[in-house]
Amino acid sequence: MSKIVVDNLRKTYGDTVALDNISFEVPAGEFVIILGVSGSGKSTLLRCMSALTEPTAGQVLIDGEPMTSTKPEVAMIFQQHNIIGDMSAYSNALSGGINRSSFLESVLQLQDNDEKQQALEALDTVGLLEEAEQKSRRMSGGQQQRVGIARALTQEPEVLLADEPVASLDPGSAQDVMGYLNRAADERDLTTFISLHQVNIARKYGQRFIGLHDGEKVFDGYREDLTLDVIDEIYGDIDTEGMFVSHGENESNRGSTDNQTSPNRGATL
Amino acid sequence: MTDSQDTNRSESESGPGSESETEPKTDPTPKPDTEPEPHPDGGVDESKPLESASAGVNEQFENIRKTRRQRAIGWVVLTASIAFVTIQGLVATEFFSDRTRFTWSHFADRMGDYFPVTTNEIPGLDAGIPFLDIGSYWEFIMSNELIYDPEVGRLIFQFPPYLGDYYAFFFEELGMFTVFGEAGTTLAMGVVGTILGFPLALLFSVLASERVTPFPINLIFRAVMSFIRSIPAIVWALIFVALVGLGAAAATLAIALNTIGNLGRLFVEELEELEQGPIEAMRTTGASKPQVVFFGMLSQVRTSFIAWTLYILEINVRSAVTVGVIGAGGLGAVVATQESRLMFGNMMATLFVIFVLVFVVELFSQRLRARLRSDQEKQSIRELITGFPNRMADSLLR
Repeated sequence: MSKIVVDNLRKTYGDTVALDNISFEVPAGEFVIILGVSGSGKSTLLRCMSALTEPTAGQVLIDGEPMTSTKPEVAMIFQQHNIIGDMSAYSNALSGGINRSSFLESVLQLQDNDEKQQALEALDTVGLLEEAEQKSRRMSGGQQQRVGIARALTQEPEVLLADEPVASLDPGSAQDVMGYLNRAADERDLTTFISLHQVNIARKYGQRFIGLHDGEKVFDGYREDLTLDVIDEIYGDIDTEGMFVSHGENESNRGSTDNQTSPNRGATL
Repeated sequence: MTDSQDTNRSESESGPGSESETEPKTDPTPKPDTEPEPHPDGGVDESKPLESASAGVNEQFENIRKTRRQRAIGWVVLTASIAFVTIQGLVATEFFSDRTRFTWSHFADRMGDYFPVTTNEIPGLDAGIPFLDIGSYWEFIMSNELIYDPEVGRLIFQFPPYLGDYYAFFFEELGMFTVFGEAGTTLAMGVVGTILGFPLALLFSVLASERVTPFPINLIFRAVMSFIRSIPAIVWALIFVALVGLGAAAATLAIALNTIGNLGRLFVEELEELEQGPIEAMRTTGASKPQVVFFGMLSQVRTSFIAWTLYILEINVRSAVTVGVIGAGGLGAVVATQESRLMFGNMMATLFVIFVLVFVVELFSQRLRARLRSDQEKQSIRELITGFPNRMADSLLR
């Protein structure tokens, strides 16, 4: 359980401002969705929070401690899942807890049974217990992403960061993966940050939303505050018609899978 | 028609991507000019604009013709420069010098020595059919134990089989390689050289990678590998003679050392092209540096490292022949001895053995590499052997 404070975070690449003095506070256990078009700074924000990228100014505090280097308490899930294709789903999940074992233990998989149990339970959480022995390279995109989640869970994090975890998945798998992420965050009381560009998926699962536009925070609020105007502001000039179907979530999700790609398409134009 | 297809194809092969958009316009089949919807094509006189085409089509057509002409000029210039360089090189390599005389008759005589001919006497007739004297090759191969050492071989090739001798063969005589005589020595030089060189090649390549060692320091490891590579194995063997004396041991050390340079270089190349993703993923789990290297980096390249090692094994077996020529044992030494005795037939017999050895090693390594690279379920060894006739027939009938 960790409280997260992002304090005046700024990141520039040369003249380009990727993040412009972002600040927010998130109490422990919240399920936060970061919205924005491509290039709005979502990835940079998450990378700064996981300490993969060093901010130009400002800091990220987790339970009052600044994130200066990567930590086991903060797990990250990537768009390209970044699991190890040559290893089985189980070995990948096991590698999440690598920080708790020595080099030889981890290489020869001599971790004690607790660790192995944890890896298998993480696979169970994402519904891949049956496929544990499968080589992950041969799995589908959605399954690979779930292996990535299992690895992050085995890490026993307090904070879970996910950078567009469903962007390269088909609508069905995207729903699956989001569902498993939601369940994992719930079961394990994780403070979760997920960047997304599909508004309908975001609305279905999100508790709190942070909107970024051109590196600036343009919205920070809970579900009831996320109105069409807000979406318009986050997505700027892009035609948002059809991206946003208000309330009646279950219906809208069934009916709007076609629309999922539209923010993405608009963003890359 | 075929002409225009050909030129179109060559254009799409050599042209940069930007031109591929315009290409379909030149593609359609030739049609009479009277057609209401004309298509530009190679059949039309190229010096004239297309009469019935719109301005845009004509402009693009003109552009394409211009780039094609430029490319043709480019090819002519390139061909001329290559010819120019070749002539200079031939002079430098004394092809036109007075000392270089092409004496084909002498060469043909010598070839006769390489390929001894015997005649098959046909009973009742004076004449016979001349054919290559394979018997003399075989006699030399067997008498000099090029491929089989009977002293060692008798332990396993006997009837009835005696288990104690099998034990003696593997654990007392250690005869896995020596049973193959001189060929076994050459093979062992290549195999052991590869095995000894591999761990150091791995270590050096990882340390030479910029991701592991910061920039100026990693150059040290690269330089060491460059230095090793710049000296050929045969010269290294001469250097190691001082350490272990002239023989197969010196050759093996030389091959092992060269493996560090060559295999390490291939590993470095492979490590350069790593994806950042898995490395970052391992970093976020809080892994230690060696763990990041092993799980984030090496796991990405495991298959290709094995494949490269097999490739280097092929090269090392060939290089074991070369190194042997200085007298360091194996088939290479036999070649050198027979050459100095002017026994060219025996030399040729040895070359055949070398060919078979290298071919078998390459076949083995290539099949194994193909299997490693393929994503399909692996065939079992048994299936690999029993299924061979079927697959062979399949590929012959294809």
